[in-house]
Amino acid sequence: MSNFSLSSKSAQDIAIMTPRGYINDIGAERLESTSEQFLGDGLKKLVVNFSDVQYINTIGLSIFLSMVQKTMEYKSLLCFTNMKKDHREIFEMAGLIKHVKVFKDEKDAFAYLNGRN
Amino acid sequence: MANNSMHVRRLMFSMASLVDLGQEATSAKSLSAKMKSALYVITGAFSVPTAALFIYHPRRKSLDLLVAKGHRDKALDKLSLSVPAGQAGQFRINDPHTVRELAKSFFFKRNKNSFTKLQARVFLPLFAKGGFIGAVMLGQKLGNAPYRKGDKDVLRIMAHQMAITLHHSQLFLELARKASENRRLFHNMRRIYNDTIQAFAAAIDAKDGYTRDHSYRVAHYSVAIARELGWKKKAVEGIYVAGLLHDIGKIIIDTKVIKKGRKLTSIELTEIRKHPQISYDILSKIKFPWNNIDNLVRHHHERMDGTGYPHALQAKDLSEGVKILTFADAFDAMTTDRPYRRRLGLDEAFGEVMKCCGTQFDEKITKTFFNLLLRELSGVKKKPRILPLLEHLDKSGFSTAKSTATVRKPAKSPVPKRTSAAARTIGRRTAAASGTAA
Repeated sequence: MSNFSLSSKSAQDIAIMTPRGYINDIGAERLESTSEQFLGDGLKKLVVNFSDVQYINTIGLSIFLSMVQKTMEYKSLLCFTNMKKDHREIFEMAGLIKHVKVFKDEKDAFAYLNGRN
Repeated sequence: MANNSMHVRRLMFSMASLVDLGQEATSAKSLSAKMKSALYVITGAFSVPTAALFIYHPRRKSLDLLVAKGHRDKALDKLSLSVPAGQAGQFRINDPHTVRELAKSFFFKRNKNSFTKLQARVFLPLFAKGGFIGAVMLGQKLGNAPYRKGDKDVLRIMAHQMAITLHHSQLFLELARKASENRRLFHNMRRIYNDTIQAFAAAIDAKDGYTRDHSYRVAHYSVAIARELGWKKKAVEGIYVAGLLHDIGKIIIDTKVIKKGRKLTSIELTEIRKHPQISYDILSKIKFPWNNIDNLVRHHHERMDGTGYPHALQAKDLSEGVKILTFADAFDAMTTDRPYRRRLGLDEAFGEVMKCCGTQFDEKITKTFFNLLLRELSGVKKKPRILPLLEHLDKSGFSTAKSTATVRKPAKSPVPKRTSAAARTIGRRTAAASGTAA
């Protein structure tokens, strides 16, 4: 995974992860480990911003699958924002979309998450 | 209509998954990285959070875990499933088996705990070239969604591709292992070979206390000169071996003659002069990995002026290797004690070599040797190769400036046409000392 990168931050009780580039290699497992770290630190609201994601394949899906599984185990919330149409379609096809909340952008996601305990 | 659209999309998705798997199969990753990626493709394609891939070991009759996904238990790393004799033949080739289908098998019963730990729902045996080579275990789909009918067909294709990938990677690893083993054996044999040659050299030198380590030094002088002349590694190795074995023919020369401190009789001289040819006769029977070892040793007493032996060859008929060996042999004879005289100091040896340059020794070889020695003495050459061999020698009077001028200057005719009386003496004596009276 040469052109994958990930930035992350947390604000109050929300963790925001912004992956960039191609999510098509096990190198992108950093997404999974980072989200697990946030969950382990007690943050129960996770946001993934897809605005800079260029491509996701089945390996990428597998990584998101683990993230979804972990958030279910931790009884936490996982939100996706800024998804392109083809991103959304692939998540729908894999049956992942029903386990996450999808928002137009981070602002909408924050509004939703701030209204929840 | 909506169903049709969904069907096409699922088909497209399955095809994309197979393309992803194909890309991983042909990647340059290591076996475990490749198979981990392949496992991720399957888990992503079927939305299965937990899965594991095993490699089959026919001798141990076990399926050993190679990679797993979604399992945090470290104990699983060493997980191994026992495969009862005859079980592999009962699996359907590259066809997914539900755990329910396997429930009555001895294989399942024996490994029930492992199936439970891995939350396995589907067991996918991997076959390549008719042989059982591994298996994939898939857990429950996310949210306990059921496996669809079409999943089985896609899994079958994926199993086939994974099996081929695994098989090829294993073949490659086996090949790499064998290549590494061969390299190790080659290095061992080479070491034994070198040790044997050195043991022979020691045996030759042990025949006469005065020539102790003579072969070792001749070999090292020769290597130093050959390297200076830009010889390739293999050729340098060759002259090293020739240096070590050049006197092997002395083994069958009467020790009394070799050790005699007084002037040799003509019979003794004839006897001792046989040793280069005997060396040749011995070494020509050996198929060395280096060229011309036998000829190098046969001619190490030839001279530039054609008065050497056994064939009185002219300079033009002598190879560079012979010229190096001739020089190294004589130089060591001059600079070590002999029964009939004490060794020369470096300055004296230099003077004598220069006098014999062109008649006994080749000019280019002589210059190469002394220029290297000067660089070592002045510290320009950081890793000296000659100096450590001359520790026993008096180096006083060997002026760097003088020697440089003498060695580097020999413009038109640095070589005396006639050998001086002293040089002739030293030539004779060194020749006799190394069993070779001139």
